[in-house]
Amino acid sequence: MAEQTSLGDGPPSHRRRPAPRPPRGPNDIYVNTKTDFRAQLSRCRRLLESGEQKELRVHGLGLAIGRAINLALQLQLALPDTLLLSASTSTVELTDDMEPEGGEDGEPGTRNRNNSAIHIRVYRAHEE
Amino acid sequence: MENLHRARIMIEDEGALPFKDLHPHVAQMRVKEGSKIRNLVGYALTYMKSEGTGQIIFGAYGRAVTKAITCAEILKRQVNGLHQITKIQYTSLQEVWEQKGPVIKNPAPCLTVYKNCPSIYILLSKSPLDPQEDGYQPPQNPPSGETGKRSLESHGSSDSKKRKTNVSTEGRIEETCTNIGGAAIAQETPYFQKI
Repeated sequence: MAEQTSLGDGPPSHRRRPAPRPPRGPNDIYVNTKTDFRAQLSRCRRLLESGEQKELRVHGLGLAIGRAINLALQLQLALPDTLLLSASTSTVELTDDMEPEGGEDGEPGTRNRNNSAIHIRVYRAHEE
Repeated sequence: MENLHRARIMIEDEGALPFKDLHPHVAQMRVKEGSKIRNLVGYALTYMKSEGTGQIIFGAYGRAVTKAITCAEILKRQVNGLHQITKIQYTSLQEVWEQKGPVIKNPAPCLTVYKNCPSIYILLSKSPLDPQEDGYQPPQNPPSGETGKRSLESHGSSDSKKRKTNVSTEGRIEETCTNIGGAAIAQETPYFQKI
């Protein structure tokens, strides 16, 4: 956490753009680290128990990967039906905006970096 | 709680892997929170280039899962044509906390905490794997060119399954372990690097 809070130290400070939002359907759950975990869990439970969705896709990026895994596993424990989990990983490209400060050469640039993501398909065993 | 420090962690069924039909000479990388990615990937690269039927497993629990995924993604980018199976599960941990400071005569007060930690196992293989298995990913399209360590842009554009989330990576990760039994103090337990 230390390197993230000391943004003002280096001369070209940067600002992180929010990750690009893909189109999402009703069964896509994007896990973040800010929302209450129980709220996320109950939202997934409601979706699965209502029977509208046959499968959920739980996505997590970066620090939220651990939460996404925990969410999927807790869902598997919480529901009476047998749920199967199928995980896949990917790389997401993120963009940072470089902000020139303090009379440096005033050229705003961008920098790309990569972050890891996980996508977990949660589905009922007999409906496969 | 303040007077205790974590003495050791024991993992139940540490040798058990959630994969079937493994190559006998599979390499297992135990990714920890303080592991350096360049060490892990450096070893994995030389291993994959030397072995004929190279199979490698990245295993991690707790906060190291992100690192394990990153290692697997980098390795997939550097070595073309890798089949992947990803498994997630809970790992049972047993932590022993002992009193800090001068050692007090027996009985030494210690506290055992049982935890269920989310964990990940990623199997990467040059030889084909069972596509019906849960968590199977076929090899990605090979990147068009390799111009250096950070030549990763071509990977993203060809990846049709890529999904992105709107997640700020700042903020403290919540300890998402659940207690099985024992003392209910594990929620605020800090992770140490020493394992």
